[in-house]
Amino acid sequence: MRIRSQDFATGLLFLAVGVAALWIGADYPMGTPQRPGTGVLPRILAWCLIGTGLLLWLKAVVSDSPRLTSWAWRPAIMITLATVAFALLIDRLGLIATMTVSMTLVALGTAETRWREYVPFALIMIAVGVGLFIYGLGMPIPILPRDVLWK
Amino acid sequence: MEVGTLFSNLALGLSVAITLQNLLWCLAGAVIGTAIGVLPGVGPVATMALLLPVTYLLPAEGALIMLAGIYYGAQYGGSTTAILVNLPGESSSVVTTLDGYQMARQGRAGPALAIAALGSFFAGCVATIAIAIAAPPLTRLAQQFTPPDYFSLMVLGLVFAIVMARGSVLKAFGMVFLGMLLGLAGTDVNTGNTRFTFGIGDLFDGIGFVPLAMGVFGIAEIIANLTNPERRDLVSAKVSGLLPTKDDLKRAIAPVLRGTFLGGLLGILPGGGAILASFSAYTIEKKLSRTPEKFGTGMIEGVAAPESANNAAAQTSFIPMLTLGIPSNAVMAMMIGGMMIHGIIPGPQVMEQRPGLFWGMIVSMWFGNLMLVVLNLPLIGIWVRLLLVPYRLLAIAILFFCCIGVYSLNNSANEVLIITVFGLVGYLFMKLDCEPAPLLLGFLLGPMMEVYMRRAMLLSRGDPWVFVQRPLSLTFLILAGLLLLFVIVPNVRRARETVFQEAN
Repeated sequence: MRIRSQDFATGLLFLAVGVAALWIGADYPMGTPQRPGTGVLPRILAWCLIGTGLLLWLKAVVSDSPRLTSWAWRPAIMITLATVAFALLIDRLGLIATMTVSMTLVALGTAETRWREYVPFALIMIAVGVGLFIYGLGMPIPILPRDVLWK
Repeated sequence: MEVGTLFSNLALGLSVAITLQNLLWCLAGAVIGTAIGVLPGVGPVATMALLLPVTYLLPAEGALIMLAGIYYGAQYGGSTTAILVNLPGESSSVVTTLDGYQMARQGRAGPALAIAALGSFFAGCVATIAIAIAAPPLTRLAQQFTPPDYFSLMVLGLVFAIVMARGSVLKAFGMVFLGMLLGLAGTDVNTGNTRFTFGIGDLFDGIGFVPLAMGVFGIAEIIANLTNPERRDLVSAKVSGLLPTKDDLKRAIAPVLRGTFLGGLLGILPGGGAILASFSAYTIEKKLSRTPEKFGTGMIEGVAAPESANNAAAQTSFIPMLTLGIPSNAVMAMMIGGMMIHGIIPGPQVMEQRPGLFWGMIVSMWFGNLMLVVLNLPLIGIWVRLLLVPYRLLAIAILFFCCIGVYSLNNSANEVLIITVFGLVGYLFMKLDCEPAPLLLGFLLGPMMEVYMRRAMLLSRGDPWVFVQRPLSLTFLILAGLLLLFVIVPNVRRARETVFQEAN
């Protein structure tokens, strides 16, 4: 069996989600045949997922599937940080600071970034962002950090 | 259907589509569609997901006209990149690169672009009429559906999505189940119980369609695209001599007709759509040609047929969505998302309750196609310049628009965290070579199927045989079964052969 094969890994994912769904949904009521309850479809789907996962494992045993290729850690981590930063900062720091942080994180996600090109681009994006979303569409987002605004 | 009704329907549609406001939304859709079509790595699904929050601000007609324009506009734009840069701007333009780029290298980029645009325009016009003719009878049929019929039809739709998904059938199955499970998360409307919410208040209303789609299609694509360093070989920024010769036109007519017909047909199939259509059209042209060996060296037939086919298919794939309320691919899932934002429940009732919306959208497609020819031929130079924007900058813009778009749905920063999670999940799917489209369809259809299942069981007093006793429902289930057999049997055979080989 090839642990690092795509089929095996996909099977593992499906199995894990299926078992988790059964576990979490164990106490969802099944209702009656005439009035199927909350638990019917989740349970059916969980078993279907488990079945699919097992079949994929079987397939991984009997035949070759491509190996998992290496992960692109740098863009994956940086893009994740960029969205998380946006979510955490937008209500607190306002649009300009949030955009600066989250766009810079994206730029750090690839080795191809040229800073001389990025800085003017980021300034244009911030101008577009403030102009379009706050003045244009009237979204209730502060432009500057709250504290600065109120002092 | 009588010709008279067809004309009165189209006249009604014309009166809606020709208002200045709707023409402008149509133009906006066509421009955005062309732009993202030209840009490799930015697809119509992600763009539509991105713009769904914005459409909330528009009237329903304008919103749907614009969203539709993005999809068929992307088909036009995709061919430009395919011909000039040898990169498919859209996946449906992959085969256009084969002969289109060769023509461009021979200095015949102009005729290739012109034939692609004119072929697409012709296909778009024919497909618009096809929708207008096919929609009313299908709608009438759909109105006779009972809950078990709907349930089985959705089963058939999902099976189609599985069959048409590229790659492993098993993975597509799993993705559908996973999508349905995700769709069930939140409060069960029938019983009021919550499911899979982990006690998180933001999940009580279920996972939003927009954050899910934006994460899986938008964010995940940024991660994947930033990984691969890009290379673009622009033939020349200047395209001279747009006009095709008489010989070009003569050679292109038959492929355009065949491509339109084939694309229109394949577009209606659930799970089909533009990609399948362009591949099939190219294959058929090659088979029919007297000089198949010349394909790949700059044959105009190899541009005309797939470009007509993908545009025809892009438009006829609206038929099942408009008449039955069933999305046949991820883009149609977005259209349904757009309708639901405006409180319209997709299905056969839309044509009767909102005839202006229904026919207005269909007629707008014709206007959209006309605008696209103008946008794409004389203004080609502008679109080419767009290709000079490197992806490293695009990624920044896309990510920002995704974040602020999702935030604006409910002014909730927590929804941005949901796209973060689904962005990583989407990237995992890419790594596992699992296509996300079946997941999206399962996500939309899962809760609908539960509703119809409950209604069917209630009406039949708990007798599950109702699904095979109704003739329509039985027909759908048999079709679904046959389709599955059709794809599984060769797989079983191949797997067995492998086992036998290893045993020896």
